[in-house]
Amino acid sequence: MTIFTTTQVGSWPRSRRMLRALRDRRLGQVTRAAFDRVADDEVRRTVRIQEEAGLDVLVDGEHRRDNFYSFVTDKLEGARLMSLAEMLDEMEDKSGFEEMLTTLDVPASAIRNPTCVGRLSRREPLAMDDFRFVKSLTDRPVKITLPGPYLLTRSMWVSAYTKKAYASQREMGEGVVRILREELQDLAGAGCEFVQFDEPVLTEVVLSGECGRRTFM
Amino acid sequence: MGEELDYAAELINRVIEGIVDAPGGPRIGLHVCRGNWSTREDVLLTGDYRPLLPALTKMRVRQFVLEYATPRAGEIKVVGRALSGLVPVQSPGPASHTDILRELGLGVVNPRTTEVETPEEIVARAEAALRFYRPEQLFLNTDCGFGCFANRCVNVEEVAAAKIRSIALAARMLREKYGC
Repeated sequence: MTIFTTTQVGSWPRSRRMLRALRDRRLGQVTRAAFDRVADDEVRRTVRIQEEAGLDVLVDGEHRRDNFYSFVTDKLEGARLMSLAEMLDEMEDKSGFEEMLTTLDVPASAIRNPTCVGRLSRREPLAMDDFRFVKSLTDRPVKITLPGPYLLTRSMWVSAYTKKAYASQREMGEGVVRILREELQDLAGAGCEFVQFDEPVLTEVVLSGECGRRTFM
Repeated sequence: MGEELDYAAELINRVIEGIVDAPGGPRIGLHVCRGNWSTREDVLLTGDYRPLLPALTKMRVRQFVLEYATPRAGEIKVVGRALSGLVPVQSPGPASHTDILRELGLGVVNPRTTEVETPEEIVARAEAALRFYRPEQLFLNTDCGFGCFANRCVNVEEVAAAKIRSIALAARMLREKYGC
């Protein structure tokens, strides 16, 4: 049995080239094939570095993702990528939200949210392509990261947009559970060794001491 | 607050139901952290995992992947006592637990600093966790990701590479010491 298995949490630093490709994709100035050529190179290098370092379970570095949870807008029906600055317009407590961003040193124009704007379903799998690609590069076990259901249920609900599609946050949560379950089943079927759900917002719920306040995640 | 935490546990359990117990299925982990959006330690959240335990203990995931490389995360005994046993069953019947042992993905390097943790420091962190976990229950990993938000990374590749090398070296030292 393996003891002290080594791995990472998920994302790897992005090169200038990757950052440029991400920006171009956001602006619609690059084809998917051209974007993938850049990202594939980055993933290859990230995998090689991990193998050379001697890690046991590898990640792809999440290079293709806008951020670890907002990337779902690329894959889902009913979701739209919005910067926090853009969302501010629709916030009920605008000044409170703005103040929180400043106090916490949150880059409001750099962080984008996956806002639910319609009924949610998978247009394509969230991470199956990532899994297949990284598996084609290494024989080692692979960890795939997915945003947790609570993080998505909390962040995707922006009432001004979401109420048109769902009566309540809990109802939208049902859609989130279905999507993540489908993805997990697909990954299990493809032989993925490790699936990690990210729920950073949980600590925010208990540690910020400000219940019910909307966070930026 | 309690209601929110219960809801979070219910959601993850419904996502993984029937998959987490399936033989040969993927290992399922849950990562919790205190934020990775800034390199300023003072603005990131502080506090141990105690307030989260009511939710975490209900979650049927095999592994919790947690930050432990910064003092902000508190002491290892908080999760060591509560989350080192068996994964609970879906609906309590004659048995209350599965035969799957929980694991800890121990965060041993800070992804936001430029200083690289030494293998010896990492070994010491792992040994503190060995008071509660067996070597096969312990994974060594970074506290959080290195990259993060699209146009703002929290670290550079050279530092990240040196940090994961330190993790691998520490694991080698630990295996020599505790392996059979």
